Amino acid sequence: MEHLWITDIFNRVLAGPANALLNALGTPSKDPARPWTDWMVCEIVVALLLIIICATLRPRLSLHNPGKLQHLAEITYDFVHASAEEIVGPNGVRYLPYFGALFLFILAMNLIGLIPGFESPTMHTMVPLGLAVATFVFYHYAGIRQQGFAYIKQFLGPFWWLSWLMLPIEVISQLARPLSLTVRLFANMFAGEQVYLTFVALTKIIIPVIFIGLHFFVGFLQAYIFMLLAMVYVGGAVAKEE
Amino acid sequence: MKNKLVLLVISMLALAGPMLAQGAGAGNPTDANRRAAAYIAMGIASGLCGLGQGRATASAAEAMARNPGAVAAIRVALILGLVLIESLALYTLVITFIAQ
Repeated sequence: MEHLWITDIFNRVLAGPANALLNALGTPSKDPARPWTDWMVCEIVVALLLIIICATLRPRLSLHNPGKLQHLAEITYDFVHASAEEIVGPNGVRYLPYFGALFLFILAMNLIGLIPGFESPTMHTMVPLGLAVATFVFYHYAGIRQQGFAYIKQFLGPFWWLSWLMLPIEVISQLARPLSLTVRLFANMFAGEQVYLTFVALTKIIIPVIFIGLHFFVGFLQAYIFMLLAMVYVGGAVAKEE
Repeated sequence: MKNKLVLLVISMLALAGPMLAQGAGAGNPTDANRRAAAYIAMGIASGLCGLGQGRATASAAEAMARNPGAVAAIRVALILGLVLIESLALYTLVITFIAQ
């Protein structure tokens, strides 16, 4: 199976530390000569790219003379801020850093697959799973921080004599949330790639461009939806009964 | 319409009767049977998902026409609803890949 050129570079230079880390965690790599996988390397590339863009932006921030990158950043910030205020409620803005980071990270990961020589890390099951588990932990943490241990009362239903029934139902539906987040992101990206490959094999030249456009649009939409659902879950966890 | 549906279901159950005449070890699905089931399942899932999304889009468009001031909120609800319905068809796609 061919690997990306970046994975080859990482495997050549950093194979030793990667193997040491994996062995220390008890999960040795299947192929000790290539411990770095494509998706891990692309995730790191995306993270570094985002950090570099933010680091370039920071010194150029200016109130009276904004440049192009600052306009783009302001548009993104306003978009996430407006969604957070509308969906999570009045104090949703304190969770804004997580939502913004989630949106930009997933968007960048989805779109980097369009550049030849890289692939979308979200196409492999583990990456959306990690994001979904992180979101699950985050919204429960947000709920417990906001409401203390009375947070558990939301899972017990409206009446105390129904709680024996409501608790298993609520537990299952809470567990279904990371499952659906994972499957939605993974299946959209994976199916997009498969459809694109099928059409490249069928009609070699002009038609696959339409599928690149579709992948672009679906990448935006899926990143937005992941952020939106994270906001809905945080809003549900943090809501006060009035 | 309802009588036709009842007739269809009963005839499908009746026509499946000869299946009981199989020998003992005939229950193991072969590769071809697995793939056929996957194709049919994906077709049914996509069709029903299409119906659901059509209804969602239709009511969203009508609501936006009746109340142009609420377009932003309706748009958010529409996108959320469409994606949640889409994810049901995607679960079937994932099962399709697992079954092969």
